[in-house]
Amino acid sequence: MAPHTPQRSERPGTLRCSASRVSVLSASPILKTESLTVRFGGLAAVNNVTISVSRGEIRGIIGPNGAGKSTFFNCLTGVLRPTSGRIVFNGEDIAGLPPHAISRKAIARSYQITNILPGATVLENVRIASQSRRHNWSMLRHHRAYGDIIALARAILADVGLSGKEDELASNLSHGEQRNLEIGIALATEPKLLCLDEPTAGMSVAETHATVDLVRRIARDLTILIVEHDMEVVMGLAHTITVLNYGEVLAEGRPTEIQANPRVQEVYLKT
Amino acid sequence: MTAISAAPPRTRAAGYWIAFAMVVGLLLVAPLVLPPFWQRFATEILIWGLLAMSSDILIGYTGMVSFGHSAFFGLGMYGAAAALLTVKPPSLSLALIYGLVAAGGAAVFVAYFATRLREIYFAISTLVFSQIFYVIIFTWTEVTGGENGLTFGQPRLSILGLWSDRFTPTTFHWFVLAVVVVSYLVVRRITQSPFGMVLQSIRENEPRTRAIGYPVERYKIVAVMLSGLFAGLAGVLYALQNKFAAPDFVFFVVSGEVVIFNVMGGMGTLVGPFAGAAFFLLLRESLSRLPYLAEYYLIPVGIIFIIMIIFLPQGLLGFLRRRLNA
Repeated sequence: MAPHTPQRSERPGTLRCSASRVSVLSASPILKTESLTVRFGGLAAVNNVTISVSRGEIRGIIGPNGAGKSTFFNCLTGVLRPTSGRIVFNGEDIAGLPPHAISRKAIARSYQITNILPGATVLENVRIASQSRRHNWSMLRHHRAYGDIIALARAILADVGLSGKEDELASNLSHGEQRNLEIGIALATEPKLLCLDEPTAGMSVAETHATVDLVRRIARDLTILIVEHDMEVVMGLAHTITVLNYGEVLAEGRPTEIQANPRVQEVYLKT
Repeated sequence: MTAISAAPPRTRAAGYWIAFAMVVGLLLVAPLVLPPFWQRFATEILIWGLLAMSSDILIGYTGMVSFGHSAFFGLGMYGAAAALLTVKPPSLSLALIYGLVAAGGAAVFVAYFATRLREIYFAISTLVFSQIFYVIIFTWTEVTGGENGLTFGQPRLSILGLWSDRFTPTTFHWFVLAVVVVSYLVVRRITQSPFGMVLQSIRENEPRTRAIGYPVERYKIVAVMLSGLFAGLAGVLYALQNKFAAPDFVFFVVSGEVVIFNVMGGMGTLVGPFAGAAFFLLLRESLSRLPYLAEYYLIPVGIIFIIMIIFLPQGLLGFLRRRLNA
C-alpha cells in the first residue's frame, strides 16, 4: 500500500488561519443536501432536509432536543447511512461513504460528547490526526522523525490555545481544554468543511468567549456548520441559521430573521 | 488506560540502551554458565517470549485480544517441518521461509474475517479459526502425522554458504537470541512508527481514529499479519530446537498461555511478554518440582496469577510502559 501523498503543497508551521483574509461568501455551494432522510424504523430522525451551504459560510443549525441535529451530522460524516437523499460536497455525492473516506474528502467534525484519545498526550492527539494525510503507512522510521507532521500539530495546538500543554495526557485537561483539543484534532485533518457539535457545551463564560473567537478565526478559511444550544453564541457567529424540528427544516434565514420568526419562537425559543 | 508516550529526555534513552545491552549480554553468556537443562530452558523462554511479544502487537498496541496465536505458532512449526522433510539436505533458510509463509498465509486468512469483528467477538473468532487449524492438523494424518506429529533432523547453521556447522545447544541459543533481538528491535520500531501510532490510536479510540481518516480495518489486517509472522517465526525456532512438530502446540491452550504471558509481564511494552514468559515458565517448573505438589502444581500457579492480576494489574514491567515506548 503506497503512502498517502498530500494533494496540495503544505507549509508546515504556518497557521492557515493567521492570514488576514476577509471571509468571502462565494456563490457556489460547498455542501448541498437534497431530500436527505434518515429513518430509524418508523421514525424519521431527519426528514427530507434540503439545505445549501455556501463556501466560507458559518451555518448555525438549531432546534429543540431530538430535532435531528446530531443525526444530520452523523449522516454528513458517514457514521450513519442516509435512508434516501443525496449529500453533495464539492460537486460529488458522498452519501453512504464510510467515515474515513469522508474525512479524506476534507469534512471534519467535533463531537457533542468529548471524543479524544484520553491516554495519549495532547500533542499526539493532534499529531495522529495530521498524520492521517501523510506518511501514515510508513513502518520503519520513528514517528518523531517526521518533523513536518509535528510542526503542523504544534501550530494547530498554538491556534486552539493549548501550547505548553503538549506533553500532558489529554485526560488530564480541563473540560474546556478538551473541547478545544477536539476542535484541534478536527483542524489537523485539514478540512474544508468543519462540523462543530455544540463546541461550547459545559464551558464557563470565559471559555465560551475564547471558543467563539477561535471559531471566528478558523472560519476565515473554512466553511463551518455549527450545532449550538447557546443562542447568544450561535446568533453571534452564524451568517445563516437553519432551524430543525422533528427532523424537518422549519425555517432558514439570517439570525435576526430567525429571532423574529413566530414559528421558531413557538417551537424553540420560548420553551 | 495505557498511554502513548511523550518525548523522553535523552538520559532516559541512554538508560534504556544500557539496560538493553546488559540484558542481551547476560543472555549471551547464559549458555556458557548454565547447566544443560537450564541452558535449554533459557532458549525456550526466548522462544515463548517471542511468541508472546508477537501477540503484544495486537493485545497491547492495537487493543485486540487474540486467542489464535497457537495457530500461527503451530503453522510455523509445521511449515518448518515441511521444509526439513521434503528438501534434501535440510536447509535452515528454507525452514524459516516455509514457516513464515505458512504462518503469514494463515494470518491473512484469519485477519480478513476476524478483523470485521470487535472485542470479544474478535477474540472468539480467532479462537475458532485456530481450532479449525488444529482439527485439520490433528486429523490429516497422511500429511501432518496426526496425533503423533512429525519428527525431523536439525539443519546445519550456514551463513551464505561460506561457513556451515552443526548446531550445538550453545550456538543454537545464540542463534535464537540473534533472531529474537532483531525481531524485538524491528517490532519496537514498527510500534513507534507512524503506522504503529495509528494502531495505538485504534486502541485508544477506534471510532475517532476512523473519523480522522484512517481505514481502521486495513490497519487491523496488517497488524494481525505482522503479529502472525512473528508468531510463526517463534514456531520455526521451537521446531528447530525440539526437532518435532506436534498438534498440541496448535491447541488453544497455547494461545491462552500467550495471553497470560502478556498479562503477567505487562501488555504494550514488548519486553513485558518476555518477562511474563520467563516468570510463568520458571514458576511452573519450580512448583512442579516440589515433591508433594506433583501433578497439582497448576493450582498454585493459578492462585499466583489471580493475586498478580489483583495487585499488579499492569504486569511485572507495566510500570515501565511509558519509558519503554518512548
